[in-house]
Amino acid sequence: MSKFNVGDRVTIRDLPPLFHTRTQGYTRGRTGVVVALRPEWVIPEDEAWGRYEGRREPFYMVRFNQRDLWPDYGGVAIDTLETEFSERWLEPASASPAPGKG
Amino acid sequence: MTKSSPSGYTSLLQSIRAHAPGEHQGADLPLRISQERAEAMLHVVHDLGGQPDGPLDKSLHTPAHWEKCTHSTAECLAWRGVWVAEERRRRENDLGETIYFGTPYYARWLLAATKMLIDKGLITPDELLEKMEEVRHREEGAA
Repeated sequence: MSKFNVGDRVTIRDLPPLFHTRTQGYTRGRTGVVVALRPEWVIPEDEAWGRYEGRREPFYMVRFNQRDLWPDYGGVAIDTLETEFSERWLEPASASPAPGKG
Repeated sequence: MTKSSPSGYTSLLQSIRAHAPGEHQGADLPLRISQERAEAMLHVVHDLGGQPDGPLDKSLHTPAHWEKCTHSTAECLAWRGVWVAEERRRRENDLGETIYFGTPYYARWLLAATKMLIDKGLITPDELLEKMEEVRHREEGAA
């Protein structure tokens, strides 16, 4: 059962990076929109450390506006970036748009 | 010139000085570093987004024999349940920034696979060193 649906606005959790991650630094603390649901799979935090039968979670494709990711983005306003996260990295976006980390 | 001769070892040390990060001698001594430096050091090596880029080499690369063998070996190890691609990526990060950015793409795979096999007790380091010597002698004999 997926916690989020296509169209939901989500904010990526800003946990400290250590050793290995699939959650890019430039997405942390940023808000995007879920554009696709992906099947459950073992989370990278387990797979990367040898727990091949570890915790399984839904994954989500999230779309960001490039201008929300890069304060000095030089491209056009409609440019977007899509990338995938397991469910534990997502939080519902607060009602007011979160300010960028700058 | 081999590194087992004194002059060979001296030239190896000079080469290490030239290739290792210039700051590493200074960084060994302080018992405390700044929070800013700690965060920079702990940043995950393969998370490159936003870092300065350089000119891209867009020429097509024809895989060398050793590169194909490395890829096949990594896939066979996965097929036999010894590791998965995500673990390989983590182990590439574990090689550290100097090796990660200083060696060819498939050398990272090869080093990650080697350490994994030793970590998991599937081979021992002395077995590996003896085999490397055996191959070196064979190649030198063939040359």
